[in-house]
Parts: sequence; C-alpha cells; structure tokens
Amino acid sequence: MTTEELILRLCAADGTSGDEEEAARAAAAAFPGCARTAADALGNLTAVLNPGAGPGGILLDAHLDKIGLAVTGVDENGFLRVAPCGGVDRRVLPGAPVTVRGREPLPGVVCCPPRPAGDEKLPAADRMAVDIGCPRETAERLVRPGDRVVFAAPPKRLLGTRISAPGLDDRAGVAALARCAQMLAERPPRRRVTFLCSTREEVGGQGAVTGAWSAAPELGIAVDVGFARQPGVPEEKSGTLGGGPMIGFAPVLDRQIGEALASLAEKLRIPYGRDVMGGETGTDSDVLAAARGGVRTGLVSIPLRYMHTPAEVADIRDVENTALLLAEYVRGAE
Amino acid sequence: MMARDWSLLERLCAARGVSGSEDGVRELILKEIRPYAEKIEVSPLGNILAFRRGEKRPATRLMLDAHMDEAGLIVTRVTKGGLLKFEPVGAVDRRALPGKSVTVGKDTPGVVGVRPVHLLERDEREKSVPLKDLYIDIGALSREEALERVRPGDAAAFAPFFRAGRGALMGKALGGRAGCALLIELMRAGMRYDTVFAFTVQGETGLAGAKTAAFSAAPEAAVVVGAAEAGDVPGAEKDRQFCRLGAGPAVPFLDRGTVYDRRYCRMAAEAARRAGVPCQPVRAARGNDAGAVHTSRAGVRTAAVLLPCRCPHSAAGLAAQSDYLAARGLVARLAEAIEERNVHKQPLC
Repeated sequence: MTTEELILRLCAADGTSGDEEEAARAAAAAFPGCARTAADALGNLTAVLNPGAGPGGILLDAHLDKIGLAVTGVDENGFLRVAPCGGVDRRVLPGAPVTVRGREPLPGVVCCPPRPAGDEKLPAADRMAVDIGCPRETAERLVRPGDRVVFAAPPKRLLGTRISAPGLDDRAGVAALARCAQMLAERPPRRRVTFLCSTREEVGGQGAVTGAWSAAPELGIAVDVGFARQPGVPEEKSGTLGGGPMIGFAPVLDRQIGEALASLAEKLRIPYGRDVMGGETGTDSDVLAAARGGVRTGLVSIPLRYMHTPAEVADIRDVENTALLLAEYVRGAE
Repeated sequence: MMARDWSLLERLCAARGVSGSEDGVRELILKEIRPYAEKIEVSPLGNILAFRRGEKRPATRLMLDAHMDEAGLIVTRVTKGGLLKFEPVGAVDRRALPGKSVTVGKDTPGVVGVRPVHLLERDEREKSVPLKDLYIDIGALSREEALERVRPGDAAAFAPFFRAGRGALMGKALGGRAGCALLIELMRAGMRYDTVFAFTVQGETGLAGAKTAAFSAAPEAAVVVGAAEAGDVPGAEKDRQFCRLGAGPAVPFLDRGTVYDRRYCRMAAEAARRAGVPCQPVRAARGNDAGAVHTSRAGVRTAAVLLPCRCPHSAAGLAAQSDYLAARGLVARLAEAIEERNVHKQPLC
C-alpha cells in the first residue's frame, strides 16, 4: 500500500472524539510489524515494537479522533439538533453534506435557512440543524442522542502530491506513525517503541493521558498537524505545504529533542521548519510531558491547510518525511 | 412497493453545467431525449429545443421549459501561490461555500479554503466569510502548476453529490435538474398533444437562454418547471417561509420576475385536484425562466410548477420524492388542459 492509499484509507474511516473504534480498526491493520496491538479502556490503540526490551523506551503518539457533531435531539419536524464534538468551525457547516451515524449511515445536509441579504451572522453549531429529510417518527427510530455526524466529503487527490480529506487532522499523523513502524520493522531498533494512536485529543487529550500512563515512556514525541502557509496565516505561525515536518519548540517541549530532530533533518537532507509556540502546544504533547513524573517530550507537525474543515489539505511528502525523520530519530536514540 | 429508480436524476445532478458552461449537462440531456424527440435543435446560446409529436395537434401551442444550468463559480485569477480566486455565478449561497469540495473545469478537484478557525478573532468566527477572502485550492503550489490545468474563465461547480432514500432527494444542482428530469420523463411517457420541450441555459444568471428559447419556439403558452426555495427549516424567518416540503409542488402567482397568468394558476390548482396531488400556491422569492418567457414576442401565457427545495444554491439541495412525483402528475395534466383549449378563445375570468 502506498502512503497515499494509507492516508486516504485512514481518512475514510469514521471516528469522532469518544467514538474512535472504526478508526482504531483501520489503524490496527497498518502496524503489521508490531508485536501486539491493544485497545485500552479509553479506546487507545497501542502497537509495540520490541515489547521484550524492558519498560520505558520511546512513545510516539498521534491522535485517532477527528472533529464532528453529536446529535442532541430530534425536533418536532424531524430535524436533528446537534452539538459540536471538538472544535468545529461553524463557518463551514451551512449546506454541508454529512453522514449521520445512526442505526445505519444516513445522508443529511446541515440546514442553511433562507436569510435576508446582508445578514452575515452565523448561529452557533448547537443552533443549527441537520436535515435527513425524514419525519420525526422515522428520525427518532433511526437516530439516538449521542450519535455522531461526520462530513461526507470523500477523500481525494489534488495536483501533485497534495490530497484533501476531512480528518487529515490527525489521520495524517497516524499514517506517519504507521509508516515509521514499517520503516523500523525492516531494521528493528533494540529499544522498546510504543506507537500510541490516542483518542479524544480534540476534546482534551484524555486518550494520551491514560495511554502515556500505561506506556510509562522515558521519552515521547507527539505527531500532529500544524498550520501550513495560506492567505491570512502569518509566516511565524506556519510551515509550508511540502516544506517538510514542522519541529516544535515551546516551553512545554524538550529543547534538546527539538534540536536533535532539527540536526537529524539537516543530516538526512529532509526539508523541515521550526514551529515555535509561546506556552502549551494544543496537542497531545502537552499531556505526554505531564505524564506520571514527567516525560521529556517533542512535537512534530505535518503542515495542513484549512484545519478543522472538511477541506483539509496536506502533502504526502510531508507525511513520508515525518515518518523517515521519526524512524531515524528512534534508531539514533539508542 | 418497489423503490423508484432515481438514476436519471442522479446522472443529471452529477453532470457539469454552471451557467455559461453547460456542455456536460447538455450532452447528457441530448443523449437521454434523442429516442423520444422528432426534432432536436441546439440554439446558438446552447439551449435544447426538442419537438415531441403527440397523438393530436394542440389547440394552443405549448412549450415546457426547464433550465439545465446550475449556480456555481467562475475562476477570475490564479494567485502566485497557485490558488484560484473566483466570482459567484448565479445565486450561489455564499454562506455555503467555505470548506466545500468543487470541480474546476472538466475534472480538476479542489476545495474552497478558509483561514483556520483557531487563528480567528471571536467576531470573525461567528460571521460568514466574505467572498473576497475565499479561493479554490486545487493543490497547486505555484501559478505555473495551476495554469497547467486551469484558466481564468473556467467554471467551478460543487462536487457531485446525490442521495435518494426514505422519501427524500439530496443532490448538487437538485432543483434545476429535477425540472430537466421531469421533462425528460414526460417525453419518454409520450404526450397527448404535440409539445415543444425547452432545456435552457443561463437560467441562474440573466435568463438569456429562456428569452431566446421562447423567441425561437414561439409558443402561445408555457409551463416553466423548476425549483422554489423552501423555508421550512429551523432558523428561517417567518417571512422567508414561502413553501414547504411534502405539501406538493409550488405554483407561484407572483415572484420577482413575473405576475403569473391568473387563469393558468387556477388551471394548475384544478389539474392538481384532478391528478389527485396536493399543490401550494406561493409568492416565490426569486424569479425563474418565466420572467423572460412570458414577455417573449407578443406575450406568452405562462405558469410555473416548482419543486420545493431546501438549500437550493448550495453543495446539496434537499427535496421530497413525493413532491417530485406530484409535480410530474400536475405538469402532465396542466399541459393537456392548456393544449386542448384554444388560448385565444378562452373567456375572461
């Protein structure tokens, strides 16, 4: 399977925060070289390379969940009322084709009520409704509160090595972990390497909290997505699509890991960027660092445009280069 | 009951046809109607005029009209970074653009990009995105790379989307294409009287298609088949709720472009009663092809039968299967009622 196929397959899997089972199943198949894979109480998928190598080792993390909506109820006319599940961008909701994960997958559209011209205010997501075109009785039979709603935009190839799919945040990171595991399996390191595909990152990172506790690593690296350059995004806050992994520097991150990753990228002639943040990073690395008695933690981000919309765009080369950088880092850390 | 086959409508909704670039949908319609028309003509602007011979000659020459084009976008400029700036074509709902998938030109996929929500000020997060801040991303990293596939002037349509089930229809360009499907089905079924079928271009922009189609066909009467925006959704203001789904086709007596023929409005209600289907007399918000048809030459008595459709100018409109079927029954009856009587001899009411 090519990296592109891997990413698109992972993106096609369902899996909003707190409901990641399908994504975990899709990801489990992508770590064939690992000794065991297991799902824990919070739904984390853990794949371990060299489980016999003793405790500790390195933890690589990427989150399984993607943003979506959760059904809160059915109104008197059969419209579904919803609440955001993760940081949903209300600006992309009106008129969006969606799939409601009810008793069976149901097509729907987020309502776009007629409005007088010039009215630019958008209601919050929990004031919007999803239209599945059914009367109340049918809707109530098919959909229960808590059922999830996901964007129905199919994953697709764009020009060159660019792809677009809802959920590239962070399935692109999961793909990088899987590719890294495959690279390491060819020439296994002696240390224990734990790949943690964590849950609930978009609602607080609870999966990474428990996953890191269980793995009890000596060192951790989170792999997530970062802002890629696009109009309106300041240069100092972004990487470049195709410009390679963005290596994180922030108070919560370990400076030495960051510098080691940067010099390794130089050595391997992998393009990269330095991604500097003032405090916490808003990724799983924040909770990895604070696991147990503290874990030295790094962050590598894959440049992504239009984060948290169904139009997310990434470059396959960045995923592949991230995997390569991580694999070489793990080998070098022995 | 066997599920009805909606594949014709699905093909029509999937076809490309932003106003002024209707070739994709035109080819499809030509292919679909060829076996059923005695004469087919494609006009200089791209309208299809098809003559369907009936069992009898009509007392009033009738044209059935549906527009084939869809609202969308047109590429105006390619930026240095390879992004496509655009202008809307037709009444595309700009609130429904951010984050949507589109097809540029014949087959270049793209997405409408917006700034990440994380980097916005609070008031920006709560407002729809101004058009000037939107663009299409086809994955090009430079102007040169983009220009290999796309030129300014290329149209962009919402990505194909269609679902039919549980009594509902959802689709890209659903409203207009439902009108086309309905006309094609009537041609297939056969007509009692000779009838002209017009599939027009530019129905979403300036009605140049309908105007020239009506001139060329020179009918005495016309029935325009299309869609009306339904306002029966949460959050709609009371005065924007023109019609609703499931209550039958909308028969407008007034809209932005037309004051409809009173007698034909009544005939439409009567035709619905005879066909055993409901219908909704409405004041519609927007105009349609009728605006150009009814003032053609010395005037054409015109009625419209519209499918109530939610979100009609977005990536996915939504309509009721029952309304479509009712509209078909109503149009067939209304056409006969108009054609069997001489329009010039009808008493004033």
